Amino acid sequence: MAIDNGRNDGGNGHKGDQAKGSALFEVIQGIDFERRELVGKRQGSGDFDLVKDNGGKDRCYACTLCERTCPVDCIDIGYTASDPMLGSAIAAPEDAAPPVDMKLFDPIIAGIRSGSGLVEALHATQEAYGFLPRPALEGIADQMNLPLSRIYGVASFYGQFRLKPVGKHVIEVCLGTACHVRGAPLVVEAFSQELEIPVGGTTPDGLFTLQTVNCLGACALAPVVRLGTDETVGRLGPNEARRLVRRLRKQEVRA
Amino acid sequence: MSAASSRVGQALQAAVSAGAGTYLADDTKREIRICAGTACHASGRVALRKAIDAALEERGLAGDVAVVETGCHGFCEEGPIVVVRPEGVFYPRLKPVDIPEVIETSVMGDGVVERLLYVDPATGRRVAHEREIPFYALQKRIVLGLNGKIDPYSLDDYLAHGGYSALAKVLSQGDPQNIIAEVENSGLRGRGGAGFPTGKKWRLCRQNLGEKHYVICNADEGDPGAFMDRSVLEGNPHSVIEGMIIAAYAIGGGNGPVEGYIYVRREYPFAVDRVRHALDRARERNLLGKDILGSGFDFDIRVNQGAGAFVCGESTALTASIEGQRGMPRGKHVRTVAHGLWGEPTNINNVETYANVPFIVKSGADVFASTGTATSKGTKIFSLTGKVVNGGLIEVPMGATLREVIFEIGGGMLPGREFKAVQLGGPSGGCLPAALLDEPIDFESLLAAGSMMGSGGMVVVDDSTCMVDFAKFFLKFTAEESCGKCVPCRVGTSRMLEILERISEGRASLQDLDLLESLADDVVEGSLCALGGSAPNPVLSLLRYFRDEIVSHVVEHNCPAKVCRPLIRYGVDAEACTGCAACIAVCPVHAVSGERKAVHSIDEDLCIKCDACRRACRFNAVSVETGVLAPA
Repeated sequence: MAIDNGRNDGGNGHKGDQAKGSALFEVIQGIDFERRELVGKRQGSGDFDLVKDNGGKDRCYACTLCERTCPVDCIDIGYTASDPMLGSAIAAPEDAAPPVDMKLFDPIIAGIRSGSGLVEALHATQEAYGFLPRPALEGIADQMNLPLSRIYGVASFYGQFRLKPVGKHVIEVCLGTACHVRGAPLVVEAFSQELEIPVGGTTPDGLFTLQTVNCLGACALAPVVRLGTDETVGRLGPNEARRLVRRLRKQEVRA
Repeated sequence: MSAASSRVGQALQAAVSAGAGTYLADDTKREIRICAGTACHASGRVALRKAIDAALEERGLAGDVAVVETGCHGFCEEGPIVVVRPEGVFYPRLKPVDIPEVIETSVMGDGVVERLLYVDPATGRRVAHEREIPFYALQKRIVLGLNGKIDPYSLDDYLAHGGYSALAKVLSQGDPQNIIAEVENSGLRGRGGAGFPTGKKWRLCRQNLGEKHYVICNADEGDPGAFMDRSVLEGNPHSVIEGMIIAAYAIGGGNGPVEGYIYVRREYPFAVDRVRHALDRARERNLLGKDILGSGFDFDIRVNQGAGAFVCGESTALTASIEGQRGMPRGKHVRTVAHGLWGEPTNINNVETYANVPFIVKSGADVFASTGTATSKGTKIFSLTGKVVNGGLIEVPMGATLREVIFEIGGGMLPGREFKAVQLGGPSGGCLPAALLDEPIDFESLLAAGSMMGSGGMVVVDDSTCMVDFAKFFLKFTAEESCGKCVPCRVGTSRMLEILERISEGRASLQDLDLLESLADDVVEGSLCALGGSAPNPVLSLLRYFRDEIVSHVVEHNCPAKVCRPLIRYGVDAEACTGCAACIAVCPVHAVSGERKAVHSIDEDLCIKCDACRRACRFNAVSVETGVLAPA
């Protein structure tokens, strides 16, 4: 993907990449002015290219470092329409995006005004909506007077922020050391097979989201799984995991 | 007594008497204590509390017998834990149906319910009292002293146990340099892992001038398998807050404004809630905020929550995160004590470090230094987890040996299992083999052995854990958590992981081991922060102590622990199989077949080696073979 001034042809070549933070941004726009100045001079600037890995994936994962350290501010990182990680809520046309209740956003604005940091503001947003919807991120950018790319850079850096809506039941499998040695990988696999979704995925019916977490700190009960925000289940083997999913499914059918 | 000191003393007295009339937890009173730590919560303390309240109500005792929800007792393996005072009868793994019996026997009478008592696995004897259980009897609890004794939501409980008297002492002396000297003399070293002398850090921070100084408590306990900081914050948040105020006074007293932050993981909702609550209570009683205890010193603390990034436990990444940036560390040619949060001099200590400070001030540096070894003083909290009998939170003097901790306090290995290694220091530490069990635990000897103190995670593994798989786990963790700033760390950890994967699949050659070693050196050399600098440690310790096991993977395609899937094969032992079909029912891919009451068989082509059948089998008829398959 060349850095191509002013051209945003949107969505070339980024498909379904699950890796953390890859292929997030489509267009890196140079500012015409500086480039024209430099081209033709002896040192030249030429075209930039983003390096690709063997598999053809972009190595760039939009850490925004280049944007921040560029001495002449010639790099501008924006959103891409086809970004798989952003999901419909961020990038889809307005009519396709789920409605976002901006009333929930007022306390977050109040929080920012009283001096809470960006990470805290994102937490508050996620608490209110269950994920980070694009309009809210734009609101935060507005309030804090920061570019949206910066907000996005932070949101995508931390493992706990979600840019997509989650299912009704969020299943978080602890993958801490103690859980690992007591067989947590088998538990993740069992959930994944039973729900037929990969880690990080949500079932099509919107009921379940499967996630992993580094350590819940309840190591004596390993392997541990957290359901939603308040229920923690300990000493859970793969067979119990499958039963748990079936039980929850049954509950849903009855309800 | 000077005017300042009497003013502070009166203010503390006022803070104590403001809580007059509230119930105080007391060892000598008749009360029921329930552990309200995360682990006991997960094992059902809410239902237990309801049952206790209902049972007391029924017997007309609701007003007479107090129920106190305390912080973590430490013995998480046996949760939910209930202790009945004043005798201190210890009831582990209690269920709501047992409650009426416990109340009638131990609360209304002086007896114990024999069948519900803790059974010492070593002797098979039932133990009635907390103090007699080997798990507790062999510990030395300084930081955790009040955990399990006080209600973390009650400032009055903390005050009644001498809380904030260290702060009052410091403020009435009015000599910040003296406190720094005291902490320096105590030999207290940072409990976050690196072991930097705390007093020296404070002195350096004080010497660096800025518009403002920051005092930060690092509670971003990202280490998987470690929960010391969480338990301290959950069980006794005021001790950390008091330590922070003392640090703030030592650094900023007469030296300009100071501001505090507690950076705590969001994965710890109880800790966050209790700390916030504690800060509010401390503010109400003038222990925090403007003009603390009438001394004229101002200091306040904000709570900042992490968002699931391991690297944010690193000091410069932590400050970047508070500033609202991506949590990426910077080079530390200029230390945070000179240029930290918002570019100002910043002192960052771990939770446990701060929690030690009130004790040092109250009891004196000499008393603190009398525990421990020549270079490492005081006690250290470890979270003992993995394949030990008694998992939980323990506090031992520095210099205790690994054997004492694992076999005496921890109760040794699970039945029928053999000790293989102990992993200290989380993803940055290393595994130590059985030969080093008599090594004393202090900063230097662990480092020399190729591991590190770390923040205190201690994961014990037995012969059912494959060391290659274990190292793979840690490397996968660091590769994922690498922030990506330094190429050797970002790319190097991934390449090392690939080599380990090749080993576990039986596709590696012996040259790969050399490559692994040289890559490890490169990653250590080429990384800015401690994450990259210590990420190869698990692999290096693997190569140092468990080379045989790797070679066996590479040469014989043999995984001795029978964990690495490409090297194992599931089969049915025809003699043991009773044909009960339990394995058929659980197999997710329908790879097991057979008639009822006839020997079952496993279709190797379908089998995904998920271990479900082996776990479901009650006759040990599912066997796992290794070293028999040709590599893919």
